[in-house]
Amino acid sequence: MKVILPLLIVFVCGFYMLITFFIPAKFAQSSAQMLQLWYQGVAAFFVFIGIFNLIKINVDRIQRRLKDWEYSIILLSFLGIMLGAGFIGGRDSRLFLYLFENFQVPLGATMFSLLAFFVASASFRAFRAKTPEATLLLIAAVLVMIGRIPLGYLLWHKFPDLVEWIMRVPNTAAKRGILFGIDLGLLSMALRVLLGIERSYMGGGEK
Amino acid sequence: MKVFERLSRLDRRVIFLLVALAVIVPMVVPLNLPVDITKPVKRVYEMVESLPEGSVVLISTDYDPGSEAELYPATEAFIEHCFRRNLKIYLMGLWPAGSELGNIALNKIAQVYNKKYGEDFINIGYRPGGAVMLLSLGRNFGDVVKVDYQGIPVDSFPLGRKVKSAHDLALVMTFSAGDPGILHWIIYFHARYGVPICGATTAIMAPQQYPYLSSGQLVGLLGGLKGAAEYETLVNKRGRGLRGMDSQSIVHLLLVGFIALGNVILLYQRRRR
Repeated sequence: MKVILPLLIVFVCGFYMLITFFIPAKFAQSSAQMLQLWYQGVAAFFVFIGIFNLIKINVDRIQRRLKDWEYSIILLSFLGIMLGAGFIGGRDSRLFLYLFENFQVPLGATMFSLLAFFVASASFRAFRAKTPEATLLLIAAVLVMIGRIPLGYLLWHKFPDLVEWIMRVPNTAAKRGILFGIDLGLLSMALRVLLGIERSYMGGGEK
Repeated sequence: MKVFERLSRLDRRVIFLLVALAVIVPMVVPLNLPVDITKPVKRVYEMVESLPEGSVVLISTDYDPGSEAELYPATEAFIEHCFRRNLKIYLMGLWPAGSELGNIALNKIAQVYNKKYGEDFINIGYRPGGAVMLLSLGRNFGDVVKVDYQGIPVDSFPLGRKVKSAHDLALVMTFSAGDPGILHWIIYFHARYGVPICGATTAIMAPQQYPYLSSGQLVGLLGGLKGAAEYETLVNKRGRGLRGMDSQSIVHLLLVGFIALGNVILLYQRRRR
């Protein structure tokens, strides 16, 4: 029953939503709408599960004194402070906005900005014309990088047009091929889930 | 050649230092380089220009502080353009922190243009559920959006009563850094309800959107900081987008230099073998 019930729910709900997509009748549309609203309720719980999981993993890390456990204390402390600020003063309170603008935003931006340093290091060590395909990729990348900056426009005013052509023609052709592949894969995976062939989402698919 | 051998063993900290200098120096000494306008950006601008006054534009800030440097300048420039054109703004976010960042930009620019909350703009906050939520939103706005980000019923605002379904929206503008984001808006909102979609994405995501631009499913696109700088140029606002382009220019040149140098070293090593 532990296996059959979830499979039945997935099968019935999945195919019902699929069928209602093609039925304009009011009862079909309103029932589909209701199911979608239920899904949003479930989706909201993902946030709670995420927070619970974060706390559980980091408390465990602190208790077992695993590598860099001190950072877990900082993380949990700030999680508590942000939650407290949000609950006490609301999302428009000065404290919450201060913490958001002066801690969360700069820290998040810093994490992403570090990429620039690693990309620079990789460009020197790894981006090399070892094969004809790699050479082609390298030339296209260099052209796009120069064409996407104002200096490129100053060097040759047609540079941005050349880049636009690369993006619009070869890039789009390749992307379309990749997208078709991904979407066909998604369709087959969706059918496998709906028909109960793919059961890994239930935790390994044991019978 | 000893120079190439030394360069091949170059300490990565030297590279990091050069990148840091390439970012910082143009900020201290601005170059004020002119920015050319690309077609996808111009199409976003023209779309906003073509909307009649009072039209409702839904802005979705689907990013987090990690992408703030690239997408926030575009958010500000776009909101400013909408308010100048006297358009009504509905703000939301598919990412929790995104709605906060959008709110900061919206309140800041609304003050400048003397716009009133509930009449000229409204923030319905973070909306979880991704694709499924967008399908519901398009079909029946009222069922999904009952309260704004502070828990106040949207029906109590004049603007809140104006939007009942996707057909009441003149345009959706999504500032997107990943999943859920621009693709969901195109697939589940445009395809089903026919609302025109414009987008702003991080530079790394921009090439993925070109098939949708070519097919017309996406009206226009602001790609990365360059897109923001182009939009700032169009709306005549010198913001962080334009200021950042000087640094980006130098960093790109530095990267091209590194790539060239790396390949010269490769050639040298091959010849030696």
